[in-house]
Amino acid sequence: MMVKKVLVANRGEVAVRIIRACRAMEIETVAIYSAADADELHVHLADDAVCVGGAAAQGSYLNMENILSAALNTGCEAIHPGYGFLSENSRFVKLCESVGLTFVGPSAEVIAKMGDKSTAKKLMKAAGVPLVPGSAEEVELEEGKQLAESIGFPVLIKASAGGGGRGMRIVRKVEDFESAFQAARYEAEAAFGHGGVYLEKYVENPRHIEVQILADEYGNTLHLGERDCSIQRRNQKIIEEAPAILPDALKERMYEAAIRAATHVGYTNAGTVEFIVEGESFYFIEMNTRLQVEHPVTEAITGVDLVREQLRIASGESLAFDQEAVTFNGHAIEARINAEEPREKFRPAPGRVSFLHLPQGPGIRFDSLLYTDGDIQPHYDSMVGKLIVRGDDRADAIQRMSSALDELIIAGEGALRTNRPFLSMLMLQREFKDNEIDTGFVERHLERLLSYES
Amino acid sequence: MRAEEGQKRRLMKQAFEARRRFRARHRTYRGETSPLKHVGVPEGLYEKCKRCGERFVKDDILENKMVCPSCDSHFRLRAIDRLNMTVDEGTFIEKGLGYISLNPLFQEDYEQKLAENRERTGADEAFIYGYGEIKGIPCVLGVLDSHFMMGSMGSVVGEKVVKSVEYALVRRLPLVLFIASGGARMQEGIYSLMQMAKTAGAIQKLNQQDLLYISILTHPTTGGVSASFASLGDIILAEPEALIGFAGPRVIKQTIKQELPEGFQSAEFLLEKGMLDKIVHRHAMKDTLYRLLYLHEKGARL
Repeated sequence: MMVKKVLVANRGEVAVRIIRACRAMEIETVAIYSAADADELHVHLADDAVCVGGAAAQGSYLNMENILSAALNTGCEAIHPGYGFLSENSRFVKLCESVGLTFVGPSAEVIAKMGDKSTAKKLMKAAGVPLVPGSAEEVELEEGKQLAESIGFPVLIKASAGGGGRGMRIVRKVEDFESAFQAARYEAEAAFGHGGVYLEKYVENPRHIEVQILADEYGNTLHLGERDCSIQRRNQKIIEEAPAILPDALKERMYEAAIRAATHVGYTNAGTVEFIVEGESFYFIEMNTRLQVEHPVTEAITGVDLVREQLRIASGESLAFDQEAVTFNGHAIEARINAEEPREKFRPAPGRVSFLHLPQGPGIRFDSLLYTDGDIQPHYDSMVGKLIVRGDDRADAIQRMSSALDELIIAGEGALRTNRPFLSMLMLQREFKDNEIDTGFVERHLERLLSYES
Repeated sequence: MRAEEGQKRRLMKQAFEARRRFRARHRTYRGETSPLKHVGVPEGLYEKCKRCGERFVKDDILENKMVCPSCDSHFRLRAIDRLNMTVDEGTFIEKGLGYISLNPLFQEDYEQKLAENRERTGADEAFIYGYGEIKGIPCVLGVLDSHFMMGSMGSVVGEKVVKSVEYALVRRLPLVLFIASGGARMQEGIYSLMQMAKTAGAIQKLNQQDLLYISILTHPTTGGVSASFASLGDIILAEPEALIGFAGPRVIKQTIKQELPEGFQSAEFLLEKGMLDKIVHRHAMKDTLYRLLYLHEKGARL
């Protein structure tokens, strides 16, 4: 029995994406918004919208009580969290469960287990999924120092509650260990309210490969292939691709490990198992228990609508297809369009959109919160849209992305800038075209990538 | 509001322009760069109207009987096209084959020129004649082709014209001649001039036998041809704006030292002066010829 009314507990492009999927399935939608977001696209698109607090996310999009009452007052049966905000907050999921709302995602228990990195690693170790050598649990300074010396520098200090690059430090020499350790702890405390950190071998410039998983409540788990998200800057993804250009045997081993990881923890709904790949070996880094920003590249090559599958699974339906039915066609690339100024350390550059022209044509998709005369809010993430292209092969996809970026115009009044020229430059790099990509790519070529004429 | 809209259009234009420049600077060729190949339109694909200057695809013009769709100007026709648009399909039987011009006065380059013309037009000489039917009425048809040495009359053309007359006499058929000629062929000198008397004499025989002779003067009909058999038709038709005369206008002007009247030597001018019976549009030519032939058939009734 499909859910009939869903509250979308998010904003921006992903809220729009989810509302669109619901509309296509004849599911009613309720949007939530902050005081600053009253004129956002997702508010206009949804059947109903409830203001849940002030401009700061803490009081609105992270305000569990208000969001839950909005859902209950509007008669919603389910909550789709999107990505970010409350999507991986097990406390929120537990609250949903306790008031009888279906959370579109895995159970609170699974989120809690996978959200805590040291617990997750213990579980993965038990499931036989390869891990980066390091501490299994949170460590204290002295203990950490000894371990670092035994696995060899460079090592990485990471917040166990973190994500998005915060509370993270690379240590190359034993002398620097202490100060880096303290800084990471401090940052983690500030960002996540929990100062626990752990330690692992730092794999320098690996490839970031992740496997998309779908699992229903009846024990069926399958993968939808991998995504290559190696083009990052400070652990923030910029370009994502599917499939990754890697040996098939290696990819098969990763799929198998990802499914093992998911089944071992009793995972349900859509999730992503992230690995780093160095040469022929891969290590588990984390599992994202939610929809990913870059899910459209998987959709582009498999033809599966991931949000729809999420809603179907959450409604208690079993998967409509099996692993054999999943096929990969062509190559897809996603570029994140951010309202930022790449030349000024990528600082956010929001503003009002005065003119918008979107690329169109075969194989082009643009998921966005933008509309002409709409405002880009300074209070939230600077990502305003995602340009996704699909081509016959990687070279074709790159060419299509180039031409689509050429056509994209986001013109604004005042300070509004986008990273479009930066992305355009990226598509032109020989190293990118030749698939010589890893997580250090952007840092290595930053000067060249910023050498566009404005 | 309007001004603002214009501004946005400009914005888009400027942005796209900038990106074209960006792409041009950073263009990466997949293989060797090659200079732009000059692509020309193949010869003969287009026909340009000399009067109005419009260009047309040749096949379309041919479909329109080589008449300019824009200004109705009549282009010069090859003999084969003239026959195709005049006689009933499959009825034409060419006669008088195998006559080849010689070089009686040993003119330099004449033989070479003839060879070139034969090569270019695929015809032996400037005149073709034979048996044909126009909407079922049998007749003898002859066509002078201005593409072959300007349709000039040398010994062979003269002889073939006489042969066509004699064929009409033997078969007792009406004779229809399409004229397009620059006059007597200079390279054969006096032999060419002799053809004027010879062809005129042949037409005289046709007259004595009461056989119909229709001559159609097309652009251009000049010199020794206009001064002989071309002007001796029982019925003389012309195509619109055809140049018909003996000497060219420039020669006359220089000789008599007077301004010539406007349209002098045009078909329309000559019609006004009573030198022609009718000007017939090319599209109406076949119907007109049919009607004339029909009216002159034995026992014909209106």
